[in-house]
This record gives sequence, structure tokens and C-alpha cells, in this order.
Amino acid sequence: MPERIPEQRQSFASRFLKPQYVMVYATVGIFILIYIYGAVRFGSIGFTTLRTFINMFKDNAYYGISAVGMTLVLITGGIDLSVASVACLTGMIVAYGTTVLGFHPAVCMLVALIVGVGLGVLQGAAIHYLNVPPFITTLAGNFLARGVCSLISRESISVSHPMIDALAGWKWYFKKYVDGEWVKIKPIAFINVNLFVFIVMIIIGTIILQKTKFGRNIYAIGGNEQSAKLMGLPVAKTKIMVYGFNGLCSVIAGFAYLLEVKSGWNLALNGGELEAITCAVIGGTLLTGGVGYMVGTLFGVLLKSVIPALITFNGNLLSWWGKIATGGLLALFIVIQRIVVTTSERNKSKKKEAT
Amino acid sequence: MPDHSLLEMKGIEIEFPGVKALDKVDFSVNAGEIHALLGENGAGKSTLIKCLTGVHHMDAGTILFDGKEIRPTSPQEAFSMGISTVYQEINLCPNLTVAENIFVGRQPMKGGMINWKEINRRAKELMSRFHMDIDVTRPLNNYSTAIQQMVSIARAVDIDAKILILDEPTSSLDDNEVQLLFNVMRELKAEGMGIIFITHFLDQIFAVSDRMTILRNGTLVGTYNTTDITKLQLVTLMIGKDIDVIFNLKRAHVDPNAPEMLRTENLGTPGQIQNVNLSMKKGELLGFAGLLGSGRTETAELIFGAVPATEGTEDINGKRVSIKKPLDAIKAKLAFCPEDRKRDGIIGDLSIRENIALALQARRGFLHPISRQEQNELADKYIKLLSIATPDAEKKIGDLSGGNQQKVILARWMATQPDLLILDEPTRGIDVGAKAEIQRLMLEMCNDGVSVIFISSELEEIIRCSNRIIVMRDGKKVGEVKGEECTQQTLLSIIAEGEQEGASA
Repeated sequence: MPERIPEQRQSFASRFLKPQYVMVYATVGIFILIYIYGAVRFGSIGFTTLRTFINMFKDNAYYGISAVGMTLVLITGGIDLSVASVACLTGMIVAYGTTVLGFHPAVCMLVALIVGVGLGVLQGAAIHYLNVPPFITTLAGNFLARGVCSLISRESISVSHPMIDALAGWKWYFKKYVDGEWVKIKPIAFINVNLFVFIVMIIIGTIILQKTKFGRNIYAIGGNEQSAKLMGLPVAKTKIMVYGFNGLCSVIAGFAYLLEVKSGWNLALNGGELEAITCAVIGGTLLTGGVGYMVGTLFGVLLKSVIPALITFNGNLLSWWGKIATGGLLALFIVIQRIVVTTSERNKSKKKEAT
Repeated sequence: MPDHSLLEMKGIEIEFPGVKALDKVDFSVNAGEIHALLGENGAGKSTLIKCLTGVHHMDAGTILFDGKEIRPTSPQEAFSMGISTVYQEINLCPNLTVAENIFVGRQPMKGGMINWKEINRRAKELMSRFHMDIDVTRPLNNYSTAIQQMVSIARAVDIDAKILILDEPTSSLDDNEVQLLFNVMRELKAEGMGIIFITHFLDQIFAVSDRMTILRNGTLVGTYNTTDITKLQLVTLMIGKDIDVIFNLKRAHVDPNAPEMLRTENLGTPGQIQNVNLSMKKGELLGFAGLLGSGRTETAELIFGAVPATEGTEDINGKRVSIKKPLDAIKAKLAFCPEDRKRDGIIGDLSIRENIALALQARRGFLHPISRQEQNELADKYIKLLSIATPDAEKKIGDLSGGNQQKVILARWMATQPDLLILDEPTRGIDVGAKAEIQRLMLEMCNDGVSVIFISSELEEIIRCSNRIIVMRDGKKVGEVKGEECTQQTLLSIIAEGEQEGASA
């Protein structure tokens, strides 16, 4: 037997400078750069306050919630175009059920949950067993859910129910301890239900991805589905569960959106699936699958929100510049992804020659 | 000998539409034995293994494993019984870390969550047992194929496997790596594991196996103790023909007055490979020997323009040429069959006909399409000429065996009627019969006036075929010998020490 080598102490640097983290670093780095730019440029008019920072999350919380599920889907190497329609459908079901049919919103929520998760599971099954490309399957799901929305109502239905109002109105203020009592900080900053749920979902997503077999199977499938199968991993179950989980995220995102606008409308969140995909991709999730981190997605959401914030602070720019900047960012990140992937391949072949 | 076998397969029969793939084959493996399974492509090795691992379902026969009859219906089932397979292609996930690849699907848990510390610790232990002290927390695709191969073996043996099937594990490894693998195999054998070893490399069989079973055309030829058989007998048994018929190859005759076909002076690209000085006559076969990564492939790529040269000159047929990309080379009547057939050579989803027509089409330019009829004629001609085993030219190339794929690639370049053909490891991973045939074709082309550069890791074949042999090490030419005067011993010593017999770099 060869002698046991002593446990190698890994240096701090080598533990963190792993090639698989490069994309996340790029995201965090670019966010910090842009944030510093904002702080220098608009610091005097309140860019650096906690309130501005919190609002960046809050306004996009429902996209963020959806991006959590989307990250999982993208890591398997798939894509889900049905999320925005499912979220919209959730809003319609709750609004119609509560306002028109008079059910308790919790009951409507349960129905929406069954519909959303059910559709996700169905899509996952079609993708795996019928071998239909995810793009096509979920595009069909997108049209289906959007169609059902219009079937329910083609007019906006407003919701008014004590439970919804209570949830929408809940706020947790940031306070500081001054002269023996807690006072709200100025300018006022608070966490609402949507932001709270978003943070919880990010934490749940992180735990799933890093700490459960289910999560690791997702990475394995994204890395090489054939190998995953030969390694005896439950590929079918995992893929179906991923799309089911994404359905769940869509439903929660739809409910979060409902709390924000307090009405259901059949054309709401049009194109929102692309926003969710953008957040995940900017956050370093590879569209080819196998690589992605929840922290990256969190910063992807932040990065995507900091641009409109900058435009608001500037005051002179049209809001369309936000779209242009986001487009530019997305293009930039896809280029960085390619560079990272090709350099790691080149390093590998170099290493091979060296051995 | 133990009194009963660990694994006993008896009277295995399986029929595919039109062919009897296995006919009453017996095969047994003892605990603590390395048992080589041999035969040409199509002899039924993989079919037999697939019956054992539940991929195919046999029509007749019994499998006794550890004294009990088993009938696995899927690889997973076989796997859970203790029969692990490591395939030729790496079946792991490149994006996961080394440690995770070993443990994914059966991770140790702590409080309902994955215990990463335990995974990394155990993976490190396992890899150091295989004498590999690597950072197991790096992604798998950071490491060479050899290490990836070890990782898949580590995964297979960590699951208390009793039978380990190694399906051509060495075809992408260099000599050192093969030795490393053999050491691991011997250690596992000492621990009582039964190892089934499938390979095309005859030397390796003699180096590591205890017994061997030979199959031919789906029937059992016999099981022999390795010590009781010679290499010559083995080959004869495998192909069922007299060895001399196949190996009666004569070196190409080169006319001393033949014109110079290729001449390079100080050809190179800084940082890659430099100062390549070559001179080749028409109809000459020039062998490139050296270890994997010694610069053989890089030199060939340089000549062909796959890596553009930034300095030096290249003359073809006495004319100065400037080759900046492969298309320039094709137009200058050069041809190059790359080393990695699967990646750089075949286009798996296209038919044999389309694969053959590719290079010719590229040379003619896309404004002069090759007519369908001409393509058919080309394909039929080369299928016949190279005796490619296929029902017709429309079959997907991906469905052919390795040897036949290689012949199609050869046909692709022969169709361009090149003056210089570069073959990079054309015989890797194909069986003895097909190997001999490729060699024969190469020599025939030389006699027809084509110059051939032949790169191979197998010294034997390089010595047998080459007129001259260039030995490379660390990106430099370290020696040059005449084929007739060369023995494996001299070649090996030049590879190891270089600078002999007045060789100049």
C-alpha cells in the first residue's frame, strides 16, 4: 500500500480561484464596478443609500423568483419559455377566483399551484420521454398558458381581499438604535413580502443545488446526460422535477406580481421569460448547461436592476436605454462565457501535452 | 486455481436480425484474475460484455455469478450486483469535480445534506491509492484523459465491484499512463477482483493478463493461459489466417533519383514548434516516432497548415508554397488524416458517400459541385478498393467499426489524389486485420508515387513500413534512422536518449 499523504492544506487563494467560479466573479465584479460608478456620479443625490439598494431588488423580485427556477432548468441544459405565461395564469386564477367566483385567495393559490407545477411536470415528461427539444415543448406551454389566461378573461380583473391587502402591505423597516430606542433609518428602507420571498427562494435554490443529491444530479445531467445515465443517476426523475420546480417558481413569481399590481390581466408579464433567462445568464449560468450558481443569479438580478436605477438617477435618459444596456450586458456575458470555455479547453489540451 | 469461478457464462447465444452474433460462447473469470477478452472487431467481444451487463438480452445460455444464476436487464442492475464497466470513452461529467464524479449519486450525507468534506477526503484517499495526488476539487475537464480514465476506474471500484470490465481503457493513453493503469489493475487483482480486459494492443495483453479468451466471428476459439501462448499464435488464432499472409508487407521502393517532393526549412511557429527541416522524396514513406506529445502531430499540423507557420519555408514539388490554412494545403495536393478520428475526422451523421466526397469538394471549391453520379462512382470505387465493410454507400459513417471509419477517411484523401499524405495514428484502436490492411494500402500508395508521412506510437509498425524514421522528443527532431537498419531497441534508445548516429536537429 502506498503511504498516506498528509491532508494537504489548501491555500485560501487556490480554494477560491477555481475555474468554475470565474463567471460568478465576472458578474460580481461588473456589478461592483457599475455600483461604484453610480456611487461616484450620483452619490450626492442618494444612490448609495440602503433604500436605493433595496429597491433594486424589490422592483424585480418576481423576475428574481422566476430566475431561481430558471437557473436550475438552464443548468440541466434545458430552457423554459413558459414561465411568464404560467405566472400570468397564476394571477388570472387568483384574481378571477377571488373577485368573480368569491373563493378565498388561499384556495385559488392552491389551484394555481397545482396547475403550474402540473404543467411543469408535463413539460418535463414530454422533454424527457418524447425527446422534444425543451425550446419547442415550453414554447407550446407558453402559448397554452397564455391562451388559457385570455379564455378566463380578456379584461383586467382587480383583486381586493383582506389577505392579499395584508400581504401586499406588510413591511419590515430597517431601524437603528439611537438613544435607547429603535428608529427607522432615513431615508426609509424596508423589506416587503416579495423581496423576502425572493431571498428565501435564493437560499432554497442554493441548498438544492449545493447540498442535495437532486441538485448535484442537475449538474451531472447538464455536464453530460449520457454519462449521467450510465452512472446510474435518476435522469428522468431529475429532469421532470426540475421543470416541476420551475413551475412552482413561476406560480410564486406570479403571486408576487399580483401583490405588486393587485390585478390579473391576460397580457401581463409579456416577454417576462426572457427577463428571467437574462438574469440567470448574466449571473454566469451557461446556456449549454452544467455550470451555474445561485449567487450568480442573485447578482444577475442586481446587475440587471442597477442599470434602470442609474438611468432614473441620471434623469435625462429615456428608459429605453435600459433595454439597450441590458442587451449589451447580455452580449458581453455571452462573449465572456465563450472565452472562459475555450480557454479552459485550451489549458486542458496544453496540460495533456505536458503530461 | 480456485475451485469455482467468480463468473461463469455458459452457452451464450444471441441473434441479431440476419446475424448470429454469439454462438454457444463460454467465458469464465476467476477472482483475482486479469482475463483478456480478444478478437477482431465484430468478433463478438462487446456483444458478450453487453449480455453480461444487461444491455443485450441473450437468447440462450446462463450466467453464474458468485455461484448464483443472474440475468441482469440493465447496466444499473448489473452494476448493483457488483459488475462495473469502464468504457473506452470517458463516461463522466466534465463539469463536476473529480471527487464528485466518483461519488455522485451515492454521496455521503450528514443531517440530510451532502457532506462535501467527506466526499473530498475519501476521493483524495482513493486517488492516492492509485498513486495520483491531484486536487480532487477541480473540475474533471482540468485533467488529461489518463487521469479521467483513472477517475472512472476509481468510481467503478469504490462501489465494491467484484467484476471490473475495462473496455479498451488504454487506447488514448501513452506508455507511462498505461503502466500506471496496469499497476492499479494488479493491485485490484491482488485484492481479489476479477478484471475483464478488452484491448487491441497485443503487448499489453502479455504484460498484464493471466488468461485470455479469444473470439472469432461470434464463436469461441478458446481460453488460454497467457504463459502458454506466443504472440504469433495469438494473432493467428484471432484472425484464423496464417500470419505470414497478412504481415508479408514489403517496404516501398524509393528510386534514389526520385524528385524531391517536400522540403521545409526552419518551418515553425514561435511558442509551438520551430525549426522543422524535412526533405522527402516522391514515393517515400517517412515515419514519425516519439512519445505522445513529443511534437509529431504538431509537425504534421504545421506542414498541413492546421497550425499556420509564421517562419521558414515550405517547398512542394520544387515550388515554393505558402500554406496558411488547410485549404491551401489541399490545393497544393497535401492530405492529412488527423489523430482523433472521432473529433477531427469523421462527420458521424453523414453517409459514407458524403464523407468520402468532402475533401475533394473542398479542393474544387463550392462553385463546382461534385455531381451525385460522380459521388456515387467515387464511393463505390473506394468501398471496393479499400474493401470497406458496409452494405451500401448511404450508411452513416458513425455506424461503422473503427477500422472501416479509418478506411473511409483514407478514401476521402485518396480521392483528392494527393502527392503527400499525412497519416496521424491511422491504426490506433483498430484490430490486427484492419491494421495490416491500412498498412498495405499505405505502401501501395507509396509505390504509386505518393509520399506518405506516417505517425504512430507503435514502433513495430513504424519500423515495418517506413523508409526513413524521424524520432522526435520535446518538439525537436532528435534522430533519424533508415527503416531497414532499425530495430525496436535502437528506436527506443533514441526516443529515450536521442542524438545518436550523427543525427542532427
